[in-house]
Amino acid sequence: MKSLDPRVKRLPEIGTGKRPSAVDIHDQFETFEVFVQPKPGKPFQHEGAIHAPNLEMAYIFAKENFTRRFTCISLFVVETRNVHVSAMTEGNQNVYDVLTQKEFPKGEKIPHEIFHLIKRGKQHVQVGSVEAASPDEAMAAARKQFDTGAVVFNIWAIPKKDIRYTSSDEADLWLTLPEKKFRDATDYKGGQKLKEFLDRSK
Amino acid sequence: MYGGGNTFEGIKTDSLAQEDPIKLSEFEARIARGEKIEPKDWMPQLYRKQLIRMIEQHAHSEIIGALPEGTWITRAPGFKRKLALMAKVQDEVGHAQLLYSAAETLGKTREQMIQDLISGKSKYSNIFNYPAFTWADACFISWLVDAGAIVNQLANAKGSYGPYCRALDRICAEESFHLKYGHHCVIYLASGTQKQRSMFQEALNRWWPPMMHFFGPADKISAHTEVLMNWKVKMSSNDDMRNQFLDMYVPKIWELGFTIPDPNLKKNNATGKWEYSEPDWEEFRRVINGDGPCNKERLEVRRIAEERGQWVRNALRSRKNLYVAPLA
Repeated sequence: MKSLDPRVKRLPEIGTGKRPSAVDIHDQFETFEVFVQPKPGKPFQHEGAIHAPNLEMAYIFAKENFTRRFTCISLFVVETRNVHVSAMTEGNQNVYDVLTQKEFPKGEKIPHEIFHLIKRGKQHVQVGSVEAASPDEAMAAARKQFDTGAVVFNIWAIPKKDIRYTSSDEADLWLTLPEKKFRDATDYKGGQKLKEFLDRSK
Repeated sequence: MYGGGNTFEGIKTDSLAQEDPIKLSEFEARIARGEKIEPKDWMPQLYRKQLIRMIEQHAHSEIIGALPEGTWITRAPGFKRKLALMAKVQDEVGHAQLLYSAAETLGKTREQMIQDLISGKSKYSNIFNYPAFTWADACFISWLVDAGAIVNQLANAKGSYGPYCRALDRICAEESFHLKYGHHCVIYLASGTQKQRSMFQEALNRWWPPMMHFFGPADKISAHTEVLMNWKVKMSSNDDMRNQFLDMYVPKIWELGFTIPDPNLKKNNATGKWEYSEPDWEEFRRVINGDGPCNKERLEVRRIAEERGQWVRNALRSRKNLYVAPLA
């Protein structure tokens, strides 16, 4: 291809100019939800979504996309369909008051992470974990443990077995972040150079 | 990096009469109270369509916008500039990922968006259809195109759609480094040799007309734009954003002793508005419709990347998993 860009000039010509062939509807993989812990002692909060072919790759992409530029101490990912979502309420309606289910199927109790949305427009924030045989039961259990009466608009329950956590030996992934000054706005102080230039051109 | 511009043309006003009037008034009241709309909330079809179109164009602009600057990574002057430019280009591509996810929450898949980009159906910011001839062109983009994008993105971050606003907050925080880095590069050229100075002056002469196109033509005041403004989809008029950009950056360009190639450019102190020669909107339309210096190359690079990556994606994909749209 004719171009000013040496890299483009080196590109092999593959099927030049043809329209993209019909791609598989799942060409871009599934989506995973990304949660980040900004500081020690702070809860995890939802940051966004990432596309990946599996949980491990999702973890790597999430690390690159969400924690490359901002310091954090931990990250976890979970496939979107494994996040169980309650109804969404508004105004002064606490979502715990609209959960009416009382009977749950019996089964082995497993731990679930619980997230609350306490302000519309903001992120879901982790409040803790509960043991339950199903996500619905987990929300009912969360009511006993975390419902303070303050309005919660939406609850997410995620079985811990579906989550890819950061292990303790991976925690140094983010140690070099503060050293990478070249992507920090404060590292570009042109003031002195500008002043010298202005003084010279007077 | 995205400046609006083409976003609000070309969609016929869908009849709002088909919408449920009670739901519609609740929806409008929510926006009037300053609350965000979330993916599962009820919304009018027109709102959904316009947002998909706007967020998708924004995502495409990030991914295509990485190309003219990316050209200069291998030839950046010095190791520090190379590191910074690589980090900046990686940021832009990351922004595209955030934005595609935000658009997906409204129901359009990423496969479809990428397909529409490559086939030319979806647009992206027109300015990236121009070539970066020298290092100074890359500096112009890092400083001033990013500055223009920030004006637009800060306005949009106050919009009504939750996932888009949250993505923009993150994007704006990252862009502050781009702007400072770009200004730093230009100060070094400006205070350098005569050759460096004229290199930037020539880049400025080349990029000024597309920069004036960046925010799009003056809005036609119609019932349609009024609805979009009430719904906080469109946050500011194209002319207002252009004026804000000129107000913030023309003095900084002049301070460095460069000439802006428009003899009519001046601030009218009585109105507080900038006056300038009318940009060539004929050229704007021609380029946006495919006939610009780099349109073909930009899309071809994207297409080849998709095609070369397809076997990798096929090999990685697990066929038992099912796609669901991201949550928020």
